[in-house]
Amino acid sequence: MDMKIEEYLAQGGKLTSPGNVPPRYRGELLRLMASFVDSELAGAAGFADTINDAPGIKNRIAAAKITQEKLDHAGRVLGVMGEFGGDMAAYDRSHDWAARMDRDADLSAARHGDDMRLSVFHYPLQGYVDAVVLNVLMGLATVVQLDEMKRVSYAPLADTFREIAPREARHVELGLNGLRQIIESDDGRAQVQDAIAYWMPKVDATFGQSASQRFDTQARFGLRHTTNDKLRELWAQRVNDLLLPMGLA
Amino acid sequence: MARFLPLQVTDIRRDTRDAVVVTLQPRPEDAGAFDFTQGQYLTFRRDFDGEELRRSYSICAGRDDGALRVGIKRVDGGAFSTWANEELAAGMELDAMAPMGRFHTELDGGASKHYVGVAAGSGITPVLSIIKTTLAREPKSRFTLIYANRSVNSIMFREELDDLKNLYLGRLSVIHILKSEGQEIDLFTGRIDAEKMQALFDNWIDPASIDTAFICGPEGLMLTVADSLRKAGLDDGQIKFELFASSQPGRAKKKAVSKDAAQAGDMTEVVVTLDGATRTFRMPKQDENLLDAALAADMDVPYACKAGVCSTCRAKVLEGEAEMAINHALEDYEVAQGYVLTCQCYPLTDRIVVSYDE
Repeated sequence: MDMKIEEYLAQGGKLTSPGNVPPRYRGELLRLMASFVDSELAGAAGFADTINDAPGIKNRIAAAKITQEKLDHAGRVLGVMGEFGGDMAAYDRSHDWAARMDRDADLSAARHGDDMRLSVFHYPLQGYVDAVVLNVLMGLATVVQLDEMKRVSYAPLADTFREIAPREARHVELGLNGLRQIIESDDGRAQVQDAIAYWMPKVDATFGQSASQRFDTQARFGLRHTTNDKLRELWAQRVNDLLLPMGLA
Repeated sequence: MARFLPLQVTDIRRDTRDAVVVTLQPRPEDAGAFDFTQGQYLTFRRDFDGEELRRSYSICAGRDDGALRVGIKRVDGGAFSTWANEELAAGMELDAMAPMGRFHTELDGGASKHYVGVAAGSGITPVLSIIKTTLAREPKSRFTLIYANRSVNSIMFREELDDLKNLYLGRLSVIHILKSEGQEIDLFTGRIDAEKMQALFDNWIDPASIDTAFICGPEGLMLTVADSLRKAGLDDGQIKFELFASSQPGRAKKKAVSKDAAQAGDMTEVVVTLDGATRTFRMPKQDENLLDAALAADMDVPYACKAGVCSTCRAKVLEGEAEMAINHALEDYEVAQGYVLTCQCYPLTDRIVVSYDE
């Protein structure tokens, strides 16, 4: 009658508390959560400057809202992580989330430094236009990733991602509003095109390598379902669908 | 960090032959910490022969019951559940962490919803908490419970469910499925499988009317019911899970016997197991932690914070000794069992055997 947890997961089963996750699953799950948390914290820390850079009160409110909600999302997932016993206040204090590397650094998809942020969040933003472009491109990547993560086999995390997903989607809409305003001028359009050229390959790299042993492990545990290449393709399609009508693709 | 607080047992009542309902009272200053949400669980700890054991049990009380109550069913060979069923008595104290778990949905006094609960055996415990709270706080909502048991005698909270049906006339319906006792209707005999779920959808429950379903029980039930609900048109956001894993070990395993600590050499032979594969490499005893050494040896071991706070890189030392520089994530009992945070781990012995699989 008893079913092994591994078999249960292979059949699409959900785990529901730290008490019923096997050790290897635990490691991969925590790693996956840390990657999301660190990216949100680093992303918010980088985006915070945009609040002052944005033209007009409405745009500053939009930037403040995005910054605030990304911190909130990090906090929610950190809450799920904390149920595994770690000291989450110490976790937050253990890294400099605002730290950035050189604009020209060649980081590809690998992790750098001591936190698990996606490599794209190691690059510094250069002003408002740059921030809006990254917010749109990376926001769309986050939307695609969250669609995948909503299916994660750890139910408390899947529920949390379901709460977060609509708000992250809203961040993209706010970014698109900003983008439309900027490209009204020729100068603005040129800056946006430069920024797109700079950020596209860096956001592309966040989807990781085509095939990886980690993906196989995560898929076996029901922590992943769609390949990196498929997600990358979905993202590229969405970017194209949105930027083409604006003459930016 | 997890923190345990004392709870006083104010009442213990036998519910079935092998299940008890325990009423617990926090100290006045801890009342806030134990203000639970329906469907949550408490994690208890207790020493058995010098070894700490932790077990989680779901709260069966509703939020408006004015009491904290858990149901504990005895599991064959289960040290904690057997002790709770045979020796726990009113007046005793139990250490518990604040309630945890997300097996619930937001309630809204104005909502008019149809909830379905599917529970097997002691899986009723959190579902009962949800039923009570929901019916009390959403006066226009209704609840259908499908409840599987071996026989009438093993049904937990049988009387309480009957009372609730009378209290909330027309808003709670309970369908008992009994494995070993024939009932007048064949549908209600046997076990919950895909066929039975389909028959229930055809005759008793219109799946299109379901807003949210709560499933609680062992692995097989979770898979079968979730699959049936999805096929009937529910999406993942409408299905809430609480797994009562069948394979919880009765006792924590003993710590591996360690060899002599702190040996003289500068280098250590490290044997690391990950995903069933074992690799051996050498590393210096100082200047490099075990995680970095394993990464340098091209092992794809899990880690996140590298600061000793998140516990992603936890592994178990099976042979040899090591020390940790910083530990903000593992508790004493885990350390006693041989667990280490590999990002903070420096070997002391000339050979150390570590597993990420245990």
